This record gives sequence, C-alpha cells and structure tokens, in this order.
Amino acid sequence: MMFEPIWGVVIACYLFLAGLGGGAFAASTYMRLRTPKCVHLIRYGRIIAPVTVIIGLVLLMFDATAGFHHPLRFALLLTNFGSVMTWGVVFLGAFTIVSLIVLIMDLLGKGLKIPVWLDVAGAVLGICVCVYTGCLLGVAKTFPLWNNALLPVLFLVSAVSTGMAAILLVGIFRAPHEFHLSGAFKKFHFFLPIFELFLVACLLFITANSAEAAGWASVMNLVAGDDAVAFWLMFVLAGLVMPTILEWKMLFMSTKEVEESKTGHMVSAASDVLVLVGGFTLRLLVLVAAMPITIVQPWV
Amino acid sequence: MARYGMLIDTTKCIGCYACRTACQRQNSLLPDEAFIRYEQREVGSYPDVNVENVPLQCMHCEDAPCAQVCPTGAAHMGADGIVEVDQGRCIGCLYCMAACPYQVRVRNSETGAVDKCRFCTVSAEESGTKMCSCVEACPTGARLFGDLDDPDSQIVAEIARTKAAPIAGDLTKSKVFYVR
Repeated sequence: MMFEPIWGVVIACYLFLAGLGGGAFAASTYMRLRTPKCVHLIRYGRIIAPVTVIIGLVLLMFDATAGFHHPLRFALLLTNFGSVMTWGVVFLGAFTIVSLIVLIMDLLGKGLKIPVWLDVAGAVLGICVCVYTGCLLGVAKTFPLWNNALLPVLFLVSAVSTGMAAILLVGIFRAPHEFHLSGAFKKFHFFLPIFELFLVACLLFITANSAEAAGWASVMNLVAGDDAVAFWLMFVLAGLVMPTILEWKMLFMSTKEVEESKTGHMVSAASDVLVLVGGFTLRLLVLVAAMPITIVQPWV
Repeated sequence: MARYGMLIDTTKCIGCYACRTACQRQNSLLPDEAFIRYEQREVGSYPDVNVENVPLQCMHCEDAPCAQVCPTGAAHMGADGIVEVDQGRCIGCLYCMAACPYQVRVRNSETGAVDKCRFCTVSAEESGTKMCSCVEACPTGARLFGDLDDPDSQIVAEIARTKAAPIAGDLTKSKVFYVR
C-alpha cells in the first residue's frame, strides 16, 4: 500500500518559519547580552522573529481548511491541554506578543530601554516554540522517525542555526560593519551545523533500529529511497557540509582583509542561504519520509 | 452505559467492499471518503496459500491517540465508548490523522474536517436498523456488533469462542476484535 504523507510543503514551511523566528529572537537576545554594540543586527533579529512566525501561523491556518472556513473554531485550540498542539498555540501566542512588544520598542528608538528580562522571556518562549515544532511530531507514536527524543533537539539546533543565518544574511548587506564585530556569534553559528550533522546521524541510527519495521523504511526513504537526492544534496551537502566548509574557510583560514572584502561577504551570504535551504529541507524530509507502523502489511 | 464493540472475522471476509459502500451510502459520504480501508496479505505456504483480507476502520480505542492529540476537543470519547468527531469543532489540522496508528481517519475534501467510522449510532437509530450498516451489508456475515459489557451478548460469546483479539494487540485498547 502506498502511503500518502499527511502533512506536506505548507506544514514544512510552518515548522521552518516558526523555528526560524524563535531561533532568531533567541539569537538576537544572545547578541544583546554578548555584543550589545551590534544594535542593527539585534534589531534585524527582532524584526525577523515576529514576521516569520506570523507568516508561519497564517500558512498553518490556511492549511487547516475546516478552521479556515470557520475561523471562530481557532478559539477552541485552547481547550485540550493534553495536546502538544495546544501548548504550541500558547507558546506561539505568547512569543508573538512578546516579540512584537520588543520590536515596537526597538523601532520607537527605545531599544536600550527594553528590559533584559523581557528579552530573556522572549528568548525562552522562542526556544519553547522551536522545541514545540519537534515535540508536535515527536508524540505521534505512529511514526518511528518522529517518536523519539532526538527530534525536538535536532529541530531546536536547526532552528537556532537558521535564525542566526537569517540575521547574519541581512546583516552582511545592511550592516557590514556590525557583521565584522560579531565574531563570537559567527563562531557559535559555525558549530551548529556540525552538531546538527551529529544529531541527524544519531536520529537515523536509532530510528533504523526501532522495534517497528517502519523505522527502517523511513530511514531507507531518506538515505537510499525516494527522498535520497534531496537528503544528500540539499540537506547534508548544501545545508550542513557546505556551510561548515565555507564558514571554516572564512573564520579560521582567511585573513581579516579577505573576511571583510566583498568576496568574503558573498561567501558568508552563500553559506547563510545554504543553512536556510538545509533547514527547510530537513523539515520537509522529516514530514514526507516518515512511514507509519505496520498493522497488517507494511506501508511503502 | 454500553461499551460497544465489533467483531470482524477475516476468515469469512472475501474483500467485496460491500461494507465500505454500504457505509458510504448510510453516512452520505463523498466518493473519495471511505471509513473502511482494506489491507491484504498472503498467508500460509505453498500449496496451502490464501489471501487474508483485513478491513480496517476506527477501532474506537479506549486509549484513543486521536482524542489525546486533538487540540480543539473535536475528537473525543463519546457516550457508550464510541470515539466521536464533533464536525463543528474540527479545524482540519490533521493531527489526529498523524496520531492514529491504524490510518483510518479521512479528511472530507469539501469541509476540510476529519471524519471516521461512527459505529452508525445516530443513523442506525433514525433508520431503525439494528446493526451498523456494514454489519448488515456483509454477505458472508463476517461482522458482528454489540455491547462488550453485556455478558449475554452474542459478540461477547463469539469473541470468547473464536479467541478474537484487537488487530494490534493492546496498542490502544481497541474495541474492534479480529478473528484471523
């Protein structure tokens, strides 16, 4: 029997954008505490966060057809606190409110007056959003690829990585002088794809050896089946390996002049775009490659 | 309070789809919306080989994963142990479809809401049929519906006699029993 994935591109976009937004806010808070001079980069993070999350939420509402036709039903989302999705709505709602307050204060020129606790609260909520995108899938016992504790961690790391990449990408073009000052931030960002590679390898090994045959089938979809080209080329090579090589060249192997040259900027920008491509591909592949457990006959 | 369940004898099932079409007619379902799906597999070894037809539908699990994950409470445990979907509460997020291990929930392509086997409660009462439409339509009598808590019911006696069991063991405390 052929299995049609339940969620597709729209939900992959939502998971990607929600993670990116949460990660970008957490990253901008980190930058505020670590390199407060980078006011523009911090602001870009604060702009990216609510914008991407709101776009994601609109996509989600659009995909939930029955609710889209009857929008009042969305109020019912807060009725079952046993559901991870209900918790996600709480986190997303609170995060959107906090990130919008912070953004408005920043745009009104009160950036320095934003209390640290508000930024930290937004960052914690942002991280909750990132983890939620993994837990949302993680609690579905039907899919061994999802139903494990590694997925939320992988999604969190990927989300922070994409959030940082989005800030840096804008920063390269809009505030290059600050981009040069954010060395610690860039080094942190450099290590995330490496950590992600390690987490993906763990996820695949554990899932392939799951008690359910569907675990093996899902991993085979990724590494040698229908999704293998996207997995190896777009996710592993473009999304993880290439950014690692490019950033390594820029951060550790190049002189300051090269790093701050036009070419250096382009290499960094390319690396950040690749991180974003990889982040989206990861969400999409995790959604479409997962196979449900066998009842009588294995799904294909 | 009853605790309704069903018995499906796959050794009698010929895979004619009569149960599915009867269900679609009884519940006025769309042509692409079926509450019963079938899995088939070859059993035995040469020369004694057979094809096993297994009709699958909502198992009305006591430990229903769909009701656990439904964020709006649309999927819930209703009266008499029947898992229900309140069509007026469903937003169509499809989380229940991802959580259901049996893959027996379907999205209505017109409303976008998710639906599944209702054990024909309301329609059976309205039209005065004694049993679910799938039970009455089965030409080989492979299906039986009844109260699992009534020790005198036919279904309880048949489950005991045939040693029927839920299709996936105690995965979700299913109330649909299979003879295989």
